[in-house]
Amino acid sequence: MTDARRFEATVLPLLDAAHNLARWLLRDAASAEDAVQEAALRAFRYYGSLRAGEDAKPWFLGIVRNACYSALARERGRADVTLLDEDGWDQLEGQTPGSTPDPLAALGARREQGLVDAALRALSPPMREVIVLRELEGLDYRDIARVAGIPIGTVMSRLSRARAQLKRQLSLAGLP
Amino acid sequence: MNDDDLSRLLQQHASRHPAHERLRAAVRTQMTLQAAAQQARPAAPAWRDRLAWLARIHPALAGAGGLALGAALTLAATLGLPRLATDGTLPDELVSAHVRALQVGPLYEVASGDRHQVKPWFQGRLDYAPTVLDEPLREQGFALLGGRVQALQGRPTAVLAYQLRLHKIDLYAWPAERGAAPERLQRRGFNLVRWSDGAMQYWAVSDVDGPELERFAAAWRAAAAR
Repeated sequence: MTDARRFEATVLPLLDAAHNLARWLLRDAASAEDAVQEAALRAFRYYGSLRAGEDAKPWFLGIVRNACYSALARERGRADVTLLDEDGWDQLEGQTPGSTPDPLAALGARREQGLVDAALRALSPPMREVIVLRELEGLDYRDIARVAGIPIGTVMSRLSRARAQLKRQLSLAGLP
Repeated sequence: MNDDDLSRLLQQHASRHPAHERLRAAVRTQMTLQAAAQQARPAAPAWRDRLAWLARIHPALAGAGGLALGAALTLAATLGLPRLATDGTLPDELVSAHVRALQVGPLYEVASGDRHQVKPWFQGRLDYAPTVLDEPLREQGFALLGGRVQALQGRPTAVLAYQLRLHKIDLYAWPAERGAAPERLQRRGFNLVRWSDGAMQYWAVSDVDGPELERFAAAWRAAAAR
């Protein structure tokens, strides 16, 4: 099998997870698709950096995650946002994607979905990404640390803070 | 609410965003193009490498015989350029032209699915009038996107761009002297089908499956013969 074929067999099955992560990190569908495409291109170029036998999911999601942060940085007209810590993000809260929950979405039959989505959107991107990776993609702490490029201890503290914020907001909304 | 309740809520109710089929196809196309571009990169002749290596390890040469070496390297670089395409390299040149059109564009300079728009556009741009077919091909799933003129073997050549689902098909057409039955080739993962009706020769280039491209050629020939 050629490298290109092996790459396809590795990365194409990960596109759902990649797109889910990108869609949760970015503002709209078009930028999420662009970020995934850009990530696929980068992954193809650096396919050699994936060691034999290494799990491709955290490797590829890490590339997707970085492509998303670059897209966010471009949107904000900043050279680099990866240096911003969570406090920095909190100051930008007003600009985080969809931080204003859509009240109509919460009114309809899919009330829970609307409330849960709004609560997730209200998290800062660093907290949202660890929650999406843990709860929606089922990654363990070690893999989340790889994707986000942070120590495992930071993964755990971010998760616990994110959970506390989500519980607060969802309880206020009357869930579960 | 404890952590388990929260996990259940998130897993049951949070929106999931699976990749659209359009994204899958785009990534696949991108891979094909990348693989093609990597293979298309011409390898430098070994002796050119050796000359460059000599220049690196003998800096004295660069001082004393610098001019001569410079001339030799220039000559080497000139000789290393791709040769003028002969018939044998035509399929490769067609694939490169197709990839270039997809990557940097334009895929078409006149955008129209109407042959009455596309055919007149070629007037004055070519010394022949290519046949343009729209409706009979659209019925078979091949939508005309438009046309362009692209240099091929140093000559301006008519190209018609068609689309089948998410795939692009380029049809290159220029005058020919003899008729020839369709023939399928493969280059760098792309399929090519060529045929000639005695007046024009046609080359269809695409990343669609071989049989699909043959179906395109058959549809074209049937419609052109009508």
